[in-house]
Amino acid sequence: MSGGFVPVYRRRPSALHAARAGAGAGFCLALALVGVVYEHPLVLLAALVAVVAAALAADVGGELRRAARLAVPLALLVAAINPIVSQQGQTVLVRGWEILGRRFDVTLEALAYGGVAALRLLVVVFALALLSAAVDPDELLRLFRRVSYRSALTAALATRLVPVLARDASRMSDAARCRPQPPGRSAVARAALAGALDRAVDVAASLEVRGYARARRPARTRRPWSRHDLRLATVALALVTVAIAARALGAGSFTPYPRLELSAGPAEALLCAALPALALAPFAGRSARLGVAHA
Amino acid sequence: MPEPVLAVERFTYSYPSSAVPALDDVSLSLDPGSFTVVTGASGCGKSTLLRAACGLVPHFHGGEVSGELFAGGMSVRQHGPSDLAEVCGTLLQDPETQVVMNGVRAEIALALEHRGEPQGAVARAVEEASLALGVGHLLDRGVDTLSGGELQRVALAGAIAHRPRLLLLDEPASQLDPVAGDELVSLLRRLNEEWDVAVLVAEHRLERCLAGADRVVALDRGRVACDAAPPEFLAWAAAEDRDDLLTPAARLFKQAGMGPLPASVKQARVLLRGAGLAPAAGGPADDYSGDDAPASARRPMRARLRPRWRSRSAGHAALSLHGVWLELEDGGAILRGVDFAIAPGERVALMGRNGAGKSTLLRVARGLVEPTRGDVRRAGEVALLLQNPGDYLIHERAGDETDAAGLAAAGLEGRASANPRDLSGGERQRLALEVALGTSAPAAVLLDEPTRGMDWPRRRALAERLRALAVAGAGVVVATHDSGFAAEVADRVVLMGQGVVIADGPAAEVLVGGWHFATEVARVLDGAGGALTPEEGALVIERELVG
Repeated sequence: MSGGFVPVYRRRPSALHAARAGAGAGFCLALALVGVVYEHPLVLLAALVAVVAAALAADVGGELRRAARLAVPLALLVAAINPIVSQQGQTVLVRGWEILGRRFDVTLEALAYGGVAALRLLVVVFALALLSAAVDPDELLRLFRRVSYRSALTAALATRLVPVLARDASRMSDAARCRPQPPGRSAVARAALAGALDRAVDVAASLEVRGYARARRPARTRRPWSRHDLRLATVALALVTVAIAARALGAGSFTPYPRLELSAGPAEALLCAALPALALAPFAGRSARLGVAHA
Repeated sequence: MPEPVLAVERFTYSYPSSAVPALDDVSLSLDPGSFTVVTGASGCGKSTLLRAACGLVPHFHGGEVSGELFAGGMSVRQHGPSDLAEVCGTLLQDPETQVVMNGVRAEIALALEHRGEPQGAVARAVEEASLALGVGHLLDRGVDTLSGGELQRVALAGAIAHRPRLLLLDEPASQLDPVAGDELVSLLRRLNEEWDVAVLVAEHRLERCLAGADRVVALDRGRVACDAAPPEFLAWAAAEDRDDLLTPAARLFKQAGMGPLPASVKQARVLLRGAGLAPAAGGPADDYSGDDAPASARRPMRARLRPRWRSRSAGHAALSLHGVWLELEDGGAILRGVDFAIAPGERVALMGRNGAGKSTLLRVARGLVEPTRGDVRRAGEVALLLQNPGDYLIHERAGDETDAAGLAAAGLEGRASANPRDLSGGERQRLALEVALGTSAPAAVLLDEPTRGMDWPRRRALAERLRALAVAGAGVVVATHDSGFAAEVADRVVLMGQGVVIADGPAAEVLVGGWHFATEVARVLDGAGGALTPEEGALVIERELVG
């Protein structure tokens, strides 16, 4: 009966959940970085496999599926639109139509680049979904609170209010269905919006009585690094180093237009093998399992 | 004399754009370690007094103030809610909007982190507050996974973690079932006794907390009408004919012409024994099950009631559910093979703990949720009033919500142009009920927790409306935690637990034979005569016990 597209954090017995928020977030963002830096389809595919493997190892596959409900249709849309709107590429697959004196053809290159853009989108969205599902948002926000306390708390409130407002809207929609003549959606949406403002006022009052206006910068937390912290941080660093160094050395080059050109040598093969291996490294071995609390 | 933790001196306050003061010349003083209940009819100023004590009035709400209010020695004129948060822990009505963070641990720590406390002190305070309120096992949970009772306790832990000297609570048990409500009151009493926290609770339903209170402040249109210890307060309410402020036990004694009025069930029993009217222990008069009763009479409630009870609905039903299951994707189930039927004109109270499946049963009955198995039959339209009446009111004018007849039935003739948001809680609920009923006569009318936060006169008015609907031929089902309201409105009670019906029988049996779900009168009289309401109880005292 659960719905929605946003992965929800739940504490689970995994190395990623057990690690400090900074290390966990670094690991997820390093995976997302691969999707940003590379356009090579094989490297992107390897990055996607890496993210999914890490999510399964962290026992948040279900949360990734939830994100996929939005991300996959969006990726398919991107993949479908690019060949229509992009007129670059020399290999014409379909002779198109002419609108306002301009010819619209579908080229192999545009089709391939649409697929690449879709893959990049999936890698980045899934990596962020992994972060959302496996890194404690309160701890993460505590990190930012030392930089800007109120901004971080506002972000915390926003994330907390999203499901609350969604529940309010769902309740109002149920109430509307209970009317003998159900009203239109716009009337319900307007009422839900007005209700959201009431909610915001209530939450503001709650924050006031808990000392928000006099909030000080939180004290620095000194916590010894656990082996999970060390593993995650090391792997995140390794992922960033490998991704950037390989890119700087010319590995994973991909040129979509005018004709498809992609490098496919030992460097790419190594990179494609390294990404899933690194993503699974924090979860591998006996030490990754020991010390993880089983709820 | 210790310095009062709250000192209110001739305090008058009016909300912006309101000509009538919400608090009018209020003076009172709370000592450290005191437990005070503030009560009165809806709109009498209870919540405003609490909001003034924590500084929301006037700093957050605006408006005009005269007089003085000191919390922990700080004047509310000079200090806002964030300053007063050093002294006050505040829990407003709806815990859902009290909770700010995603995780329980972070939520309890929030007020301490606002104060910039060192991490060690925060961790210790979180641990102690969570242990004090029995939520230690929830620390690693997300707040969105908590039940209503758990959320309320977590919100309370968040309010006390910084060890406030004054705890302000606005109807803290209004969303809780009787069991969770009793637990919460015990917790408050413990905090009060062991931590010397002064507690100020705004509450309609005095029977829950009067026994533990040192003092009761009754407000009437913003003024202090009575400020006294519970026995004197009850004597005052009886003398002033303020039956709406009396507990059921006190009303029972008043109706029976006995005195003094008791502040608790225990005291009521002592007084009855003292008067030579000790009730015989046991169940209803026709189903006695005391210690000396035969074994067959001491069977568990389910066994005792289910086979015997034959509802009028056995013939033609206004609404019936047969073997209804509602299963979740993860394998759990909210409803587990529920059989339930209601006849035209029958009035049924659906009771049970939070999470027992009452609301879901009503939703399935109305067709908002499809059962995964089983069969729902409706003899006609089914009207459902969900828990938040405000959800039904989506237009800018009351007249756009329903027709003139509906407005008249809601007692809102001549107020068609009023914005529903400006109506009082009771008016909104009456209007929402008419909106849900529509213009045609429904076969069944279902209401989910309609008496939350409602004072006694409004509950009585709602009970009358429901009786009228039943007389008109509708089957009426009310899901409620309020056993007093159930006794008043229902002729049959269905008790649910974990998605199954665990008892189904006449109100006089189910509400007498239970513990948490028994009415206060039934507990005072130990079930004698099957009396549930003060009126019935007074008759029992007169006819059976005296006789």
